Amino acid sequence: MSILYDEGQQAIASESRRILEAHVTTEALLPLLETRDAIFEPFWTIAKEQGWTAVALPEAYGGLGLGLVELGLVSHQAGRSLSGAPFLTASFGAARAILDHGDEALKQRWLPVLAAGEAIGAVAFIEGQRVIGGGLAFEDGKLRGTKSAVTGGTRAGVAIVTARDGDEMILAVAELADVERRPIESFDNSRCAADLVFAETPAIELLRGSVAEAAAVHILALQAVVTAHEQTGGAEKLLETARDYALTRRAFGQPIGAFQSVKHRIAEIYALVELARAGAVHAASRAGQDDFIAAAAAARIQATDGYDTAARDCVQIHGGIGVTWEAGLHLHMRRARSLAVEQGNLFFWEDVLVDRLREKAA
Amino acid sequence: MSDVEAYRERARAWLESVAPRFGRAARAGLSEEEDLALGRAYLKGRFAAGYSGINWPVEYGGQGLSPIEKVAFDSEEMAFGMPTAYFSISLGMPVPIIMRFCEDKAWVRERVHKALTGEEIWCQLFSEPAGGSDLAGLRTRAETDGNGWKINGQKLWTSWAQYSDYGVIVVRTDPTVPKHKGLTYFWVDMKAPGVTVRPIKLAGGDSHVNEVFFDDVKIGDDHRMSPVGGGFAVAMATLMIERYVATDSAGFGPRLDLFVALAEAAEINGRPAIEDGRIRQQIARNYAMRNSLDAITARAMTMMQAGMEPGPEGSLNKLVSVRSRQKLSELAIDLQGATGLHFDAHAPVKQDWGASWINAPTGRIAGGADEMLLNTIAEKILGLPQDHRPDKGVPFNRIPA
Repeated sequence: MSILYDEGQQAIASESRRILEAHVTTEALLPLLETRDAIFEPFWTIAKEQGWTAVALPEAYGGLGLGLVELGLVSHQAGRSLSGAPFLTASFGAARAILDHGDEALKQRWLPVLAAGEAIGAVAFIEGQRVIGGGLAFEDGKLRGTKSAVTGGTRAGVAIVTARDGDEMILAVAELADVERRPIESFDNSRCAADLVFAETPAIELLRGSVAEAAAVHILALQAVVTAHEQTGGAEKLLETARDYALTRRAFGQPIGAFQSVKHRIAEIYALVELARAGAVHAASRAGQDDFIAAAAAARIQATDGYDTAARDCVQIHGGIGVTWEAGLHLHMRRARSLAVEQGNLFFWEDVLVDRLREKAA
Repeated sequence: MSDVEAYRERARAWLESVAPRFGRAARAGLSEEEDLALGRAYLKGRFAAGYSGINWPVEYGGQGLSPIEKVAFDSEEMAFGMPTAYFSISLGMPVPIIMRFCEDKAWVRERVHKALTGEEIWCQLFSEPAGGSDLAGLRTRAETDGNGWKINGQKLWTSWAQYSDYGVIVVRTDPTVPKHKGLTYFWVDMKAPGVTVRPIKLAGGDSHVNEVFFDDVKIGDDHRMSPVGGGFAVAMATLMIERYVATDSAGFGPRLDLFVALAEAAEINGRPAIEDGRIRQQIARNYAMRNSLDAITARAMTMMQAGMEPGPEGSLNKLVSVRSRQKLSELAIDLQGATGLHFDAHAPVKQDWGASWINAPTGRIAGGADEMLLNTIAEKILGLPQDHRPDKGVPFNRIPA
C-alpha cells in the first residue's frame, strides 16, 4: 500500500525545495565539472544547518528520528537542483551499517558526528565491475587492497567495506585517516569519487559470511531508495524544463510543443517521472518489511530508466541549445549516469529482483 | 483492519463461494450463448448478494456505498474470471448516464434493476466509420419527424450491440454549425424497426463489437437526453462518468508470475531461460513498471479514502500496461518455441499468451488510443498546445472531406 505524505513531510519537501532553489544556479555548478573534488559547498552547509544529515538517524545518536520517506523527500529536491553533494546518501548508508551492525562504542564514535555532518561516511563495496566486491583482504583486523571509484571517497572519514577473509565475506568499518585516496577524473566530478588504497589499514569487523553479504545488499538497497528519489527529482526537473521550452520555442509558425512528435515525447517523460516517483515512495514506505529489497530494486530500476530517458529526451527537445555547455542540460545527463552506476547498476538490481521473484515463486 | 479491507474480505469470501459455478473453470468450453446465460445468472446472484451497483444511489437499487468499495470489489472479482464482460459497458456508462440525464424516474428505476440483474443490456453508440478518436466528426443524423426524430446512419465498434436491448446514441442534428455544436444525445430501443446489428469478427476471432445501421428509425422526443445541439457535453459526461475503475497493471493480460513460471520451464539454446539476461531484464523491467502502477493505484485508493481527489497519474495505467503486455506476450510466444505456435482463440487472455498477444492491439485502441492518451496527458496535465485542427470553428458541412 502506498502512502500519502503528512503535513510534516510536505513541509520538508517544500522547505528543502525553497532553500535549494534560492541558492543553486547552473552557473555555480558548471565549473565543478572541471575540478576534481569540488562540490557545491553551500549545499553541504545548508544540509548540516537544516539537519538533513540527521534526518534518518535515531535521536539517541543526534538524529531526527525520521526515516527513508523523509530522507527521500530531501533527496528528491537535491536531485531537482543537481546540488546533491553525494554525502547525504553515502553518509546515510555508512551510518545505517554502523547502527544496524556495530557495537555501542562504534555507534557513539561515529553516529553523532555523521548526524551532525562533521564527518562524512562512504560505502565502499564496488570493485571494478563487481558491485559487491570481495577482493579486499581482511586479516588480523587489517585491510589490504583497493576499492575503486568510491562515491564521496575524496572526503569521507569512515567507510563501510566488503572484504574477504579466506572464503568468507566480511563487512567491516574502517577509519580512512591514513588511507591513500586517488581522486578519479569523472564526467561528474562533484561526486568526489576516489580509489581508496588500503595498506594494512585497521578495520573493525561487523559481520561475516552469508549474513555479511545479505547486509551489504540491504545497505545498498537503503541507499538505492534514497537515490531513486534523487533520480526522480532530476527527471521531474527535466520534464518541466522540456515542457517550458516546448511552450516558448517556436518553429514553423507555432510553439514546438504543438507538434505531436514533441508533445508525445514530453508526455512519455511525464509517464516515466510518475512511475519513478511511485516506485520510490512505495519502496521508502516498505522499509523494514519482507518485500523491501524487491521494492527497492524495482524503484531503482524504474528511476534509473526514468532519469536517463528524461535527460536524453529533454536534450533532444531543446535541439542545438540543448548540447551547449552553458545551457547545462549535460549536468543532468552526467548526473543521470553517475547515479545509474552508484549503488549498483541496472544489471545488479535486475538480478537481485529476479532472484527475489524466483524465491517467492518457489 | 480498515472497513474497506473488511469489505474486501467479505467480497472475496462471497466470490470464492460462487466461483465453482461461475468462475473461469466453469466457463471453459461453453458457447457464447451458454456463457452469456451463465453471466445473466451470475449477475442475478451478485445482485441478491448486494454486490451490484455498489456506488449507485439506493433509490435506484444500488448499494449507496462509495467508489472505494466498488473498486475493491471489482479488483477482487477480476481475479476469478467471472462472465461479466457482456455487461461491462452497460453498467459502466449507459446505465449510470440514464440515471443522471433521464427524467422519468420510474422508468429509469426499472431499467437499472433489469440491467443490474442481467436481464437487460445497454450499449453505447458513439464511434462511427468517420469518427472514432474524433468523436465529434460523426455523421449519423437525426431529423425532426413529427413530434419526434428519425435516425439514419451507421455506428461502428459498438460493444455487445448484438445482445443489447437499449443503447445511448450521439447523432448530428445540425450540420450547418461547427461539429461539436450540432450533436444531440438520445436513447434508443435496439429492437426498434430499422435497427440492424452486424457483428464484426476481430483479429483474434471473437466478435464482441458490431456495426449498427439505422434506417429511418423513429424515436419520440422523450428519448432525448440533452438539449438539441448539446449532445457533445453529455457524450463527454458519459466517457467520464466511470471515474473510478479497477485497473490492472498486467494490462488485462497474464500476470507476471505466469511469465516467470514459463521462463523457469523453458530453455534458450539448451540453457535455462530464467538464467538468460534477455529474459531476466524483461522480467525485472516489467515488474518494476507494474510495481509502480500498483503503487499509483494504491495511492489513489488511499487518497479517495481520505476524501481527496486522486492525481492525474492514474491515467497512465492503460497506456503503460497494455503496450507492455503486448510486447511481453510476444516474448512469451518466442520463449515457448514451436509450442508457442499452438493457438486457442477462446483461451482466456489473462491466462494464455497467444490470446493475450492477438487481442492486445484492441486494448491499445479501444477506450482511447495510445496517441489520444498521450495527447490528453500533454494537453490536460502538462498544458501543451492542442494539435493543429483545420476543422475548428468550421460548420460541419463545410469541412473538406
